[in-house]
Amino acid sequence: MALAEALPEPSNPLGMDGIEFIEYSTSQPQAFGALLQQMGFAAVARHRSREVVLYRQGAMNLIVNADASAAEKTPAIAAIALRVRDAGFAHRHCLDLGAWDMPTRASAMELHIPGIHGVGDSLIYFVDRYRDFAIYDVDFVFDSNSKPHPPGVAGLHWFGVVQAILNERTADWLDFYRTLFGFEVLPRGQYFGVLPKGTLLESPCRKFYLQLIEPPPGADEVHWNEGLVRVGLGAPDVPKAVAALKQRGIVFVDHGAVQPSDKGALTQVYLGGVTFELVVSKEIPS
Amino acid sequence: MNLENFGMDTITLAGPLEAKLRAVREAGFTHVMLNATDIAGHPAGEDAAVAAVRASGLRVTGFQVLRDFEGLSGHLHAYKVDIAKAMLGMCHALGSKVLLACSSTSAHASGDFELLKKDLQKLATLAIPFGIKIAYEALSWGRHVNLYPQAWDIVQQAERANLGVCLDSFHILANRSELDAVEDIDPRKIFLVQLSDFLWREVRSAEDRIDTARHYRVFPGEGVHNEQLAALVRTIDATGYRGDYSFEVFNDDYRALPLAMVAQRARRSASWVASLVSRRSLPARQR
Repeated sequence: MALAEALPEPSNPLGMDGIEFIEYSTSQPQAFGALLQQMGFAAVARHRSREVVLYRQGAMNLIVNADASAAEKTPAIAAIALRVRDAGFAHRHCLDLGAWDMPTRASAMELHIPGIHGVGDSLIYFVDRYRDFAIYDVDFVFDSNSKPHPPGVAGLHWFGVVQAILNERTADWLDFYRTLFGFEVLPRGQYFGVLPKGTLLESPCRKFYLQLIEPPPGADEVHWNEGLVRVGLGAPDVPKAVAALKQRGIVFVDHGAVQPSDKGALTQVYLGGVTFELVVSKEIPS
Repeated sequence: MNLENFGMDTITLAGPLEAKLRAVREAGFTHVMLNATDIAGHPAGEDAAVAAVRASGLRVTGFQVLRDFEGLSGHLHAYKVDIAKAMLGMCHALGSKVLLACSSTSAHASGDFELLKKDLQKLATLAIPFGIKIAYEALSWGRHVNLYPQAWDIVQQAERANLGVCLDSFHILANRSELDAVEDIDPRKIFLVQLSDFLWREVRSAEDRIDTARHYRVFPGEGVHNEQLAALVRTIDATGYRGDYSFEVFNDDYRALPLAMVAQRARRSASWVASLVSRRSLPARQR
């Protein structure tokens, strides 16, 4: 029997299940590595063939890629890897709907992670092996002297990613994230943390958020490019997390509207443009 | 309205890109509609063409034209997606915020509304990372979409922020379309208006329309549809549209005349159109 009725699309078409890793690119991996260690991350493994290091804390995987020839000094978020039900399906689904394919970068015997182009120069990868098998087991060599799963500082976990966009581009990017992945906009006025602005999108798995921010009124667009600008880290108890990170040498912005509170906190700017935001949040287990 | 609202189209002019840009600027225009052949056919290569456009100081009204994109399937669809990507890349390199896409004329194209909508949604998604808007235009000899209300219908149903319509007076006049439906179009979804006229009243067949469209268009005010053109411009203006008007005038004679002479005709036409509606820059009278 032919199925003629128009069935609604599932709300989570890719079976998204959170963030597998966030990738930064930089030509200063040592300096950035030192900052990440202050933020509670530990280097646990190195890529077999490229200058790429895997950092971890708690359930968060963070990759620092110093291999890309185009890498700037200031570390920049180069990719978000999404956990999905079937990476091949997710990739095809997005290409069918008008995403731009990413050239494969895998060398011989390395894992090919499919992906598409995101905002600016960033990429969005799809990973479906994260339960009983980890992608890092193929391409990375783990440091035998360090714990492969270091605990998180004060329960830190991925909360979301902040994306800068140009003026009047919110509707375009909403279409992008809604159509390809099934993100939904949170009602206006529903914000978390200490930087309540822009538009918040909730992932279809309800495990993380994207925040779209147009330039503030009167800002000079020349100094405002589209791209992923910051990660948000969830903390069940923000003051406790702030205290723990301060002890590790991290400095938080402590004046004006963004001073640390129960809701969130923002670090100072490091290495010419890196900040981390803390947001009160309970981790949702995978 | 004032001169700022009008731009010329390089397809009206003969000669190298640099000479066209100079003629457009010297006639007092501030923006120009570019054609893919301006870039691909530049003797010093694409980068030189892009550099010439950037150096001209002219804003790019839009980039044309993606043809026969929607309604195809299988390898034809895949081929057109490749073409669309290349055009989006060129459009982006030129700093153009609008890509013109004309309704399909292909005998291989389906007229299935859902498929046409889906393909245009895909095109819109491809354009998002570049910040490019897709202006979908009903060609008067389009195979399935040949009237502007049809184009608007698909655009409306597609519900994509960067997908809108291009209204082209030639196709509206050639099909003797009613203007009422213009009033229904959300002015924020009109991404471009192209103006031109032609020199005879009858264009009976699709072949007539194609021939006239490609060789015998003239600037507004020079043809035989002044009254209808005036009504169209006034109707568009009354919707609240405040975007660009571009003169899309394909004319073999104009491509054989000195560029400055053609640009002056365009300038005269801009004044004629501007006189049809009140000046936009004047503030409303205070009571």
